[in-house]
Amino acid sequence: MRQELVQLGGGAHALAIQILGNPDDAADAVHDSLATALERQHMYDARKGPLKPWFLRMVRNRCIDLLRKRKPTDDRVDELPAAGKSPEKAAEDADRDRILKSALESLDSDQRQIIVLRDYMDLSYAQIAEVLDIAPGTVMSRLHRSRVALGKAYREYDE
Amino acid sequence: MSNETNSGKHVGESLSGFIDGELTQQDAQRVRLHCENCRECGEQLEELRSLRERMGKASLSDLGKDTWRETMDDTTVKATRGIGWFLFAGAILLTVGFIIYDLLTDDHSMSLMQMLIIGGFYGGMLLLFLSVLRQRLIERKSDKYKDVEI
Repeated sequence: MRQELVQLGGGAHALAIQILGNPDDAADAVHDSLATALERQHMYDARKGPLKPWFLRMVRNRCIDLLRKRKPTDDRVDELPAAGKSPEKAAEDADRDRILKSALESLDSDQRQIIVLRDYMDLSYAQIAEVLDIAPGTVMSRLHRSRVALGKAYREYDE
Repeated sequence: MSNETNSGKHVGESLSGFIDGELTQQDAQRVRLHCENCRECGEQLEELRSLRERMGKASLSDLGKDTWRETMDDTTVKATRGIGWFLFAGAILLTVGFIIYDLLTDDHSMSLMQMLIIGGFYGGMLLLFLSVLRQRLIERKSDKYKDVEI
């Protein structure tokens, strides 16, 4: 379980950034969630489903707790971190990520979350419904609206 | 309006379901056929596919696995230390209680309870020691400045 949680750390951090708006708070939320997951690992039943949605739901709930405690502020994402690769590839990726970041920032938190869960973390619709605590039947329509909005914003920033 | 399905509607959200492989075989076939004949939906399908691919390759977190591994180790240290302190404090309390009891009575035989208390005491001490030792070893392994002489 520990190894699997380590693997999920990056994706969980990306999700938390979309909710909390900055990488530092997001890292704190993931840190707390990892501690909680270890404490409650006896409550996880692998027969009921994979670890990924179970843990991501925990991360999301922790983020919501932190948001409630935080003073009302703009929840826009501060900055998506830069990639650390070879210079040419990094520049290309950074440019692509910059546009994607701007497009993502223009969406609301719910839209960002569902896109990250599906397209970044590769969760199934059933797992997304579990993490976001919504009816499975609404995932496709919500995701589609979010993707269309992202596509529209991406075109605008890419011009 | 561009080409549409026989029912006169674009496939809409089914495009996302199609890209994600979440449609039934029948629905997926319907979307595929529609997109072959509807330029608008065909273009949207390509755009959504491209966006999904970009998102999948994007770098949304700059914290590597080492960060989370260290977090987990840190959590383990705290948990182990907590158990150690619990046993230690419990053993101290029981020992004090036992001494008071022993002073007030004439029974000085070594009972199972006494053995449990002593075991808990030494167990707690051992856990505390192992916890600190483990943390020191991890710090020594990852300390960039361990060879720097002051």
